Amino acid sequence: MSERYSFSLTTFSPSGKLVQIEYAINAVAAGAPSVAIKATNGIVLATEKKQSALHDETSLHKIEPIAKNVGMVYSGMGPDYRVLIRKARKLAQQYMLMYQCPIPTLQIVQRIASVMQEYTQSGGVRPFGVSLLMAGWDHDENRPYLYQCDPSGAYFAWKATAIGKNFVNGKTFLEKRYSETLELEDAVHTAILTLKESFEGQMTEDNIELGICDQNGFRRLSPSEVKDYLAAIV
Amino acid sequence: MSRGSSAGFDRLITIFSPEGRLYQVEYAFKAINQGGFTSVGVRGKDSVVVVTQRKVPDKLLDPATMTHLFKITSNIGCVMTGMSPDSKSQVQRARYEASNWKYKYGYEIPIDVLCRRIADINQIYTQNAEMRPLGCSMMLIGIDHENGPQLLKTDPAGYYSGYKAISAGAKQLEANNFLEKKVKKDCNLTFVETVDLAISCLSTVMSADFKSTEIEVGVVTVDNPEFRVLAESDIDVHLTRIAEKD
Repeated sequence: MSERYSFSLTTFSPSGKLVQIEYAINAVAAGAPSVAIKATNGIVLATEKKQSALHDETSLHKIEPIAKNVGMVYSGMGPDYRVLIRKARKLAQQYMLMYQCPIPTLQIVQRIASVMQEYTQSGGVRPFGVSLLMAGWDHDENRPYLYQCDPSGAYFAWKATAIGKNFVNGKTFLEKRYSETLELEDAVHTAILTLKESFEGQMTEDNIELGICDQNGFRRLSPSEVKDYLAAIV
Repeated sequence: MSRGSSAGFDRLITIFSPEGRLYQVEYAFKAINQGGFTSVGVRGKDSVVVVTQRKVPDKLLDPATMTHLFKITSNIGCVMTGMSPDSKSQVQRARYEASNWKYKYGYEIPIDVLCRRIADINQIYTQNAEMRPLGCSMMLIGIDHENGPQLLKTDPAGYYSGYKAISAGAKQLEANNFLEKKVKKDCNLTFVETVDLAISCLSTVMSADFKSTEIEVGVVTVDNPEFRVLAESDIDVHLTRIAEKD
């Protein structure tokens, strides 16, 4: 049952472009917006999660922990994201097994980006239709790191960024409001405002998700905590 | 953005189209509606119910074998909507995954883990060119030890989620609209109300007054977590009550 195509589906066009990767990036740009901001004492991840009233909101989450000190969020295709969560969690534990310490953010980012690159070159597979925002706290350096991973396998370190729908406007918004001295509480506030720019309808604790990564590790905020932050905006 | 030159394969295998879509996955969704069936699932306070149509097109067919309700484990059941052969294949895989879990870990697979596993397999078909996505959607029901009654649905895209109520198939848009109006944030339906809601949803969107032989109903309850199919006499009781209410 494991017959495989022996040739890559992602091939060069005459102009030298890898169009499957570009199309994958288009798939990301059509996805729900996600925002991340690095503050002096931590990182906030925020994403829009619009679901119909029939959904059980607790059954599916976009912001997921990878290790105690690393978490991530995505924009793009949910099912592809689940594959990367699985791989990232396993890679983080393999690192722990080998080196007996929590995986530094750059290390997990490089490993996952390498997985995403494989799917642009291996036989019979298409690239992942997701961009990831990975947030981690490095205990040796005692500072936060924020990275973005693209379908191409490229990764970038950011101070603040937005991905998904309207990401250009999101980044412009962030450029104006970002400052090096930003603290986590203010960063959460700014992240929510950035999401609000492209949000249609009323923002409630059921249609956005927030995650925080600081010295104490990564965690997703509960709906009641999200509600408190939203109350501060209005 | 210039319309890139897709060599035309984006409609034949699961690679990206210029807009970033997967046409094969979208076509798989359409294949679910081909059979013309609709299924509805509703989660109550202490029970979960799935209802689907029952059509026996030929008098020579054995009606007992024409079913879309399947038992995956003794306490997890499902309703399959879409292409019959793909449905049976997915059910067999789900049964294998559940048994394998019990063998390896010594306890019954939690329903959300099973659903995620099936959804992950569906995702592989959307990313690997050699296997096409399956033209069917699986709705799982069961009573979870930690989370109580659960209703989950997975689809050809590899997406899955838990629901308070959901439908699949030809009339899913109308059925979902019907359900959205009836289901509030904190829904506490009794078993009888859950079954009645599911059946009346199907009746309304199919614009049909069903006979007990024309639908099949699968249930799990907290009192009896074993997945079972209601007998025709039980279905009759519900149908009578729904008719009298109108």
